[in-house]
Amino acid sequence: MPQQESGPSAVAAAVLEGGSPAQAELLERLRAGNRAAFAELVDAWSPMLLRVARCHVSTAASAEEVVQDTWLAVIRQLDRFEGRSSLRTWVFRILENQARTRGVRESRSVPWSSVFTDGAEGHGPTVDPGRFRGPEDRWPGGWSPAGRPTAWEPPPEDAAMAAEIRRELRTALDELPARQRTVVELRDVHGLSSDEVCERLGLSPGNQRILLHRGRARLRTRLEDVYRATTGEGERRG
Amino acid sequence: MAELPAPRSAADDTLTVACREFVELVTEHLEGTLPADVERAIAAHLELCDPCVIYLEQMRSTAAALRTLPAPTLPPPARERLLGVFSALHGRPEDRPAD
Repeated sequence: MPQQESGPSAVAAAVLEGGSPAQAELLERLRAGNRAAFAELVDAWSPMLLRVARCHVSTAASAEEVVQDTWLAVIRQLDRFEGRSSLRTWVFRILENQARTRGVRESRSVPWSSVFTDGAEGHGPTVDPGRFRGPEDRWPGGWSPAGRPTAWEPPPEDAAMAAEIRRELRTALDELPARQRTVVELRDVHGLSSDEVCERLGLSPGNQRILLHRGRARLRTRLEDVYRATTGEGERRG
Repeated sequence: MAELPAPRSAADDTLTVACREFVELVTEHLEGTLPADVERAIAAHLELCDPCVIYLEQMRSTAAALRTLPAPTLPPPARERLLGVFSALHGRPEDRPAD
């Protein structure tokens, strides 16, 4: 990576009120093509921009495009920015506009109302029926000895959890059917309430819970596979 | 929700829940949206069934682990592209488009 001094923190200057000398100085550096200063802003703000974008659009890929379009708009409009607000406020306003336009376009093309008419992702048990006792058993529908779950140690939310498990969870999340993934992302990754999710996606509370349930159950199974693979053969840590 | 197995009424008319049914009710249980009689049946079931307690804990854990995923970032090629466009437009003042 080419080395270039970005000077005083671009991020610090970019949150200052419009019209401040530090902001004017930052704008000057950006307009003069200071790549390091621009990179600093991109690296510092893209995670938050992605999170905000994700709330408007239905996929992580769309959110990435919205954020890239936002930065492209920032680059193109940099010379026209009058500096009345902070640079950060301006950038996030561009993002909101981009994301909203895109979200409106998508909500027309993503048929949320048809969630449960397309079969595959809305039906069937979420746990392999083979793990339960059959109808002739003394305890029909109970866990079979080989099928019952065993505790996860340490639990996956533990800080000590292996990076491998986190990677696996991320991958499994990305592979969920789109609607399940969106609901799980908004609820569990971003922490939105069920009301917010229903409103944003135009879902009924019941359908939202089904998608959440099916998505989480699938992710649980993936985590279970990881724990089984790592504890099954000898020790898993150290 | 037609696909959820319905808890059955036992002889004395109280609901009972089998493990196989519990695993499909677990999210509604966590959300607190089940009717009171189903909640009572689940509480009674969990008192006696350690594997279902573990299953419940794993579903809770799965949701909690999702909160710990690292913040999303732009893929490195996208980042590089943006820096390239930035340099192309602002790198040399005399090359800048009039816009």
